[in-house]
Amino acid sequence: MKPFEYKAVNSVEEACSVLAEYGSDARILAGGTDLLIEFRKQNVRTPKVVIDISFIKEIHSIESPNGTIIIRPLVTHSEIVNSKVVQQYASLLTSAALVIGSPQIRNRGTVGGNIMNAATCADTVPPLIALGAKVTLESKAGSRQLDLSDLFIKPYQTKAKHEEILTEIHFTKLPPNAKSSFIKLGRRNALAISRLSVAAILTQDKNGKITDARIVPGAALPVWKRVTEAEKILIGEKPSIELFTAAGQKVSEVLISHTGRRWSTEYKEPVIAVLVRRALEQCTLTPNPSPKLGEGSSDLSELGEG
Amino acid sequence: MKKFTIKTIVNNRKYEFSVSQNQTLLHFLREELGLTGTKCGCEIGECGACTVLLNGEAVNSCLVLVPQIDGKEIVTVEGLSINGKLHPLQETFMNHDAVHCGFCTPGMLMSAKALLDKNPKAGEKEIRTAISGNLCRCTGYVQIVEAINDASEK
Repeated sequence: MKPFEYKAVNSVEEACSVLAEYGSDARILAGGTDLLIEFRKQNVRTPKVVIDISFIKEIHSIESPNGTIIIRPLVTHSEIVNSKVVQQYASLLTSAALVIGSPQIRNRGTVGGNIMNAATCADTVPPLIALGAKVTLESKAGSRQLDLSDLFIKPYQTKAKHEEILTEIHFTKLPPNAKSSFIKLGRRNALAISRLSVAAILTQDKNGKITDARIVPGAALPVWKRVTEAEKILIGEKPSIELFTAAGQKVSEVLISHTGRRWSTEYKEPVIAVLVRRALEQCTLTPNPSPKLGEGSSDLSELGEG
Repeated sequence: MKKFTIKTIVNNRKYEFSVSQNQTLLHFLREELGLTGTKCGCEIGECGACTVLLNGEAVNSCLVLVPQIDGKEIVTVEGLSINGKLHPLQETFMNHDAVHCGFCTPGMLMSAKALLDKNPKAGEKEIRTAISGNLCRCTGYVQIVEAINDASEK
């Protein structure tokens, strides 16, 4: 590892003033599961200063005031998995956190790092966008809030300025008639990077008609977004395999319209359609299946792919 | 290079160290403390050979900067046996021939300990999940799972 200056900070205020001082010469260190790997690469510029925020207690909590859930950025993936309130009101996020890396990575890696690193394969982002999460960025100049879906510019790049730090992620609890799911496709079960993933939420009225739908594919588009073209197909309809297949095909079409046809398209085109269909099917199972390790990944045996 | 003073507990002993700022916990344990039981494998958090307990949680020591352990407690494989008496997991690993080349063993033991400390009656599914971040290229995992399962029932 190339040399850098290390500064541990104990409050958001302190972090903001150090960030204001060093700007683009500084990088923020939290769990270290992305950053320390990056530092070891040969051709990567190591920052002058590494600001260790891992000791800041005020940004390490999950709270649930007034029908909302507030997750602070230092919350680890293991802590999300173990959070009763997340399990109950945002179970797709539990499913996603459960299939990240390994137990060791989940014990260190943070949700804030997962978001701010902005890798297209970040597993907590599609569920959070499906949940309509908003994020708060703070700097010495004050704080601002934006939709998580508006945070990203391109892979590994966010709209956060060098002097800003993520301090909060919040969203509304899912209502009891909303069911959600997250499916991840990796090359193996443990320690897999998402090849593709899908976060889905369906809300049905008492007659079974779909009143709200959210579909967010992961590792599929340059920046994450809800596929509203596919969501529209579902609204006002009753769940059926045909309906979910049509929605899956629409997601596949939208994906290709964004990325163009390239070497991986032949594979991704049918696979994303199947993943979307399955994610929607999972949303209609009663009760919603409780997330378990391995369940988020898919063997895709019917497609003959591993 | 700038040095930092940190307080930590390693294997039940209190220490105050002066540490260099951009060293990983893995290299600190091996090179400064001579605790070479913790193995250096991939150094990208994939093999699990460097697994230690940080405040009771299994972590990859290759992905922790040493100043980050200030005020925290570390347990390495050397901390498993107490007064020369082996930990039950070490006994069951031997009884089940769960050690072949031995390189993954310290990490496997620490992941297993993290599990059994929290869930002493863990079943096979929990065991397989707990060691899902530890690679073994010799055993095919079966003897390792059996060994942990045996310790779990004790």
